[in-house]
Amino acid sequence: MNKSILTLAILFTFGLLSFGQVTDPLISKCATNAGANCRYLKDFRIQLGKASTQSELRYKANMSLWKNTRYRFTMCNADNSKGQLILSIKDESNKQILSSFDKKTGKIYPFIDFECQKSGIYQISYDFNNWQQGSGVGVVSMVK
Amino acid sequence: MTERIFILLIIVFIGFSCRNSKSKSAEFVFPQSDSVPVSEAEKLSPEAIADISKNISSPVEIANLLQKLQVPFSQNYLAESIDANKQSTNFDKALKLGILGADLGYLNMYEKTGSSLDVLSSIRKISEDIKVGQFFDFESIKRLSKNRSNLDSLLFISIDSYNKIDNYLRSNDRGQLSALMIIGVWIEGQFLATQVVNQFPDKMLIDRIGEQKIILNDLLLLISPYCNRDPEFTSLCKDMQDIKEKYHDIRITYTQGEPVSVEKDGGLTIKQTETSVVTMSKEQLNGVIEITKNIRDRLILNN
Repeated sequence: MNKSILTLAILFTFGLLSFGQVTDPLISKCATNAGANCRYLKDFRIQLGKASTQSELRYKANMSLWKNTRYRFTMCNADNSKGQLILSIKDESNKQILSSFDKKTGKIYPFIDFECQKSGIYQISYDFNNWQQGSGVGVVSMVK
Repeated sequence: MTERIFILLIIVFIGFSCRNSKSKSAEFVFPQSDSVPVSEAEKLSPEAIADISKNISSPVEIANLLQKLQVPFSQNYLAESIDANKQSTNFDKALKLGILGADLGYLNMYEKTGSSLDVLSSIRKISEDIKVGQFFDFESIKRLSKNRSNLDSLLFISIDSYNKIDNYLRSNDRGQLSALMIIGVWIEGQFLATQVVNQFPDKMLIDRIGEQKIILNDLLLLISPYCNRDPEFTSLCKDMQDIKEKYHDIRITYTQGEPVSVEKDGGLTIKQTETSVVTMSKEQLNGVIEITKNIRDRLILNN
């Protein structure tokens, strides 16, 4: 009995330790979904609860984007996600460059290609539509 | 009286016109102070540091640009002199891990996967030495390197491994090693670009080198908390400051425009019409090439 508990404990511990080293399957799936003509650069793992206020997209990160490069931003949702992942990008002067959510039609685009002509540090923001609870991945790739 | 009002209106109109035309272009300038004060850098939250490290571009982007310009591969650009067994301090190990990571990205992008196995074994040795070897899936990378058809998977696993190491180091109070790794990746990428531009002086590549001014301050912010830690860090901080000085008079200006969007294949394509313009003289470029080579060559010397 003690031996089985010990074995279980060891398996559990090693399981937990190795879990942290395994690539999140949603990230690898999303990177693959970006397309055969894309090369993976970065990913953002987003997990958010339902928002109490509805103002700005909540997950924010900065990323340098370079002139003469075509980037693809792919959004993927986990199976249990209530909301759909949306993306917005602003430049250094806080001007919105793009959004994957069309406010007029309510359409959410699963990916956006951005033909960058101005090198700089951009603010990348993610959230789930209607500020719902959600889990997803945003992958950034270069289009060959 | 009417005449005076008319003149006044013209002056006001000219005043507004000038202000508007000024706002149509802007220029990138370094923050006021020439160096980042240590106290300011120390105030950075772990989130801010994570943000900066995510913000630094991947060496794969430089290699991608070289491919686009049809620049042939050259083994001479690689840091082949690095001997993984001769890295005595964690400083050396983390910095070399970054340099070798950039070389791995370059080799993989050019599908020189046979040569990448040598770099990979050095990366393995060094990463195990600083106890981050568990984040490299060496067997998968090795297998994919032997099978060229899986280049995208290979790039994904390699970059993902570096990202995991970076996250792990930062969340385990070893942020100084993460900063070194990132600086190593950047210096090697910069070395690669500046060496290539010597032989292939393409405007796009020259601009990319000049545009590095945009992220130099972030790199300095990343390393600043450790500048007084030991002589090795102090020397590296000085090197980065010297690079920054070479960039001081290189100008980056912007022209305004509105993005154009087109729906295509279920997604959205946005074409930016705003542009960044680099103004850099031949002397300024030569200064950047020279300082990058001097610093990088010194850093890859074995102890």
